[in-house]
Amino acid sequence: MITVKHVSKVFRKGDQEITVLRDVNCEIAKGEVIGIIGPSGTGKSTFLRCLNRLEEPSGGHIEIDGVDLMDRMADVNLLRRKMGMVFQNFNLFEHLTILDNITLCPRTLLGRSREEAEAKAMELLQLVGLYEKAGSLPEELSGGQKQRAAIARCLAMEPEIILFDEPTSALDPTMVSEVLVVIRRLASEGMTMAIVSHEMQFIRNVSTRIFFMNEGVIYEEGTPEQIFEHPRRPATIAFINRIRTIEFILADKHFDLYGLFGEVGVFCTKYGLGNDMQTKVQHVLEEMLCEILPFCGPVNLTLDYSEKDYTLRIDFVQEGCTDPILETVPEDSLSLKLIHGMSASLCETAPGSIHVEM
Amino acid sequence: MKNAWIICVLAAALAACSGRQTAPEAAMPASLEELTGHTVAVAGGSSTDLLLSQYEGINLMRISIGDMPLAVKSGRAEFAMMQEIQYDVNKLDRQGFRKCFSGILRGVSGVAFRKEDGTVCEDFNGFLRGMRARGEYDRWYRDWIQNPDSMVVETAARPTPVSGKKLTIGITLVFPYIYYSNEDLSGMEIDLFNRFCNEKGYSPEYSIVQFPALIPSLNAHKIDVILSHIMVTPERAQQVLFSDVYLEGNQCCFGLAPEWDAADGTGIWGRLKDSFRKNLVEEDRWKLLAGGLAVTLEISLFSLLLAILIGALLCYLRMRPDKAVSSATKVFIDTVRGIPVLVILMMMFYVIFANLRLSGVTVAVFSFGLFYGACFSEVFRAGMLGVGRGQWEAGSALGLNKAQVFRLIAFPQALKRIVPVFKGEVISLIKNTSIVGYVAVLDLTSAGDIIRTRTLDAFFPLILVSVIYIILSRISGGLLDALDRKLNPAK
Repeated sequence: MITVKHVSKVFRKGDQEITVLRDVNCEIAKGEVIGIIGPSGTGKSTFLRCLNRLEEPSGGHIEIDGVDLMDRMADVNLLRRKMGMVFQNFNLFEHLTILDNITLCPRTLLGRSREEAEAKAMELLQLVGLYEKAGSLPEELSGGQKQRAAIARCLAMEPEIILFDEPTSALDPTMVSEVLVVIRRLASEGMTMAIVSHEMQFIRNVSTRIFFMNEGVIYEEGTPEQIFEHPRRPATIAFINRIRTIEFILADKHFDLYGLFGEVGVFCTKYGLGNDMQTKVQHVLEEMLCEILPFCGPVNLTLDYSEKDYTLRIDFVQEGCTDPILETVPEDSLSLKLIHGMSASLCETAPGSIHVEM
Repeated sequence: MKNAWIICVLAAALAACSGRQTAPEAAMPASLEELTGHTVAVAGGSSTDLLLSQYEGINLMRISIGDMPLAVKSGRAEFAMMQEIQYDVNKLDRQGFRKCFSGILRGVSGVAFRKEDGTVCEDFNGFLRGMRARGEYDRWYRDWIQNPDSMVVETAARPTPVSGKKLTIGITLVFPYIYYSNEDLSGMEIDLFNRFCNEKGYSPEYSIVQFPALIPSLNAHKIDVILSHIMVTPERAQQVLFSDVYLEGNQCCFGLAPEWDAADGTGIWGRLKDSFRKNLVEEDRWKLLAGGLAVTLEISLFSLLLAILIGALLCYLRMRPDKAVSSATKVFIDTVRGIPVLVILMMMFYVIFANLRLSGVTVAVFSFGLFYGACFSEVFRAGMLGVGRGQWEAGSALGLNKAQVFRLIAFPQALKRIVPVFKGEVISLIKNTSIVGYVAVLDLTSAGDIIRTRTLDAFFPLILVSVIYIILSRISGGLLDALDRKLNPAK
């Protein structure tokens, strides 16, 4: 139904160029529910907005039912009728009642009579549970109600696919579920949808396929089970496990140890690691960096904390090192004993790469 | 209800003002020298103005002749200078004034033509010689001074010259030379010139011009003849071609009569009734006001429509994504808004459209349309900017094209924001049309001025005109308020 080939998007701000979409390729078939997830600022919304050309893609092709949306001759307005869009900020027409919001476009674009359009609108309002709000102005509705009305407005055009752009991000937590219920119902009725959302549990349940977007590309895609249970690529794994990372590069032996402790302390506090853990991390870092590593080159230090299973990992990579380091350290070295005591496990995965699990 | 209140307050002010007259303490001066240290009203740009300017220590107040009695009565000026003949014909002695001295600036008046229009001037001189030879000139002069009212009737009975070469004549209204009587132009100069046109075969068209603007208008080809008892001076003779002398006169200086008592026993309502009769009923003067009102409405309405069109166009250009177009439009808008609307009006009339011979009303509509178009465009833009990007996106995403989004979504929302601000601009436009008198248009304000020059009663016409403007503002404001309520039912 929709084929996306090599779509890119570059924003120009003065002299700066910001590449949001690098090269996006995908196909969406009828009846699919595509969940689009990924870290903030990786182009999820931009991708969705490129699909109906609210954003002008900088390059590539988007075909809908065989018609190239990027073709100069293509009637974009006609193609847009097939694609509904639900916005983060609802964007209901502020000067019209809910009923008029829903009937405006069917009457203007599809040539429906007022009676026809209104009968259909009332049906849709019934579906989203807003039958009684037909005569209200948008400003009189709560956020959740506004979003449901916006979904009804979308459905009134009888679209072949609906694009949801973070439909619950602007809502109070108490109102999220009333909107999700409506979307879930549409999914169960076989509506084709693409949903950008941060509601992981919802996306996992409702989607037939997941796109994980990272750095302007669809980094990994698969069924909800594949993505959530068995992610294959590092960024996906980090995202799914909600891994928080901090990195340091220490040039030589004379690095600022106490400055490093300070930054690590901030990192630990930020993610709720207790004083106890913080002290242990400091000991491990001090012994490792001051006693064990030879500093025959710069050392890369990485701390990864998973918010999913609450584990902290520390990786040391000693560059310019060809022989295993731990083997050269005496078994009964006090430093080594100390590290063993403080951590859950310690191993050297490759010469110079030491992995510590706390 | 509110209107009624305003009118009541103004009526009270009117009544109070009519009675505000104080007897002066100062002794009457007997020569120009004795005017030193006093404030003296003179006609701006007149020969009196030039003469008195040479005396140090005299505070000159440059106003129009019609406002002089009022200026003296209200104490704004202690004395005033006008043609003795005007003083006599207006019977100012009976209105509490007293001549201090006269006989200064004896001078002669001629009709002024452009230097190159020698043939018309010769025609006029020939006509004048004929009149003098037949003795008609003396009769004409005597009858107008002694009994102007019967002369008005006689003039009106004479056929108006219509055929022949067209002449546009610049006039200023001063009784008894030129004034409105029963909606028609009359007065001794009009009578004389109509006789000339009849005899020599010209078709006159009279146009009211402010006295200082007469000579510039003549040289800008806005008018062909100056007929305003303009005094012959060497300076003027360098710029224009004067005919033979047809009037002689001298200036007199007058002030309030020391013995005059304001209390005449008629009371407030009596005075009000008297003013009403004098300013509106006599000679059907209300028709002048009605005519002026119609012109004011005409200019306001057409300017408003034009300004909306221009404003919409400028707003469209200003909001183009193209930087060059947008900033060029901004410069244009800022320039137009930066010039006082009166200056725009004068530039349009005397410079830009000088050679097109457009009527004053048309030029006024263009000027106000342009100025308020620039003002409106910014109001419109503010309204459009208030419509969120999301509204446009939602409309587009549903498949509406740009024009449909504008018509169905953006415009109705912008209109809600525009109307309350727009109301102030519209009222400002209506009131500002009062300056069109500068380009010889007879609007409501000018009509009031004409009545003032004739009746020499300033308060009543001024306040009546104010009341009419207030009512106009209230009506237009009310209409826009109704629109606002319709757009914002929640308010």
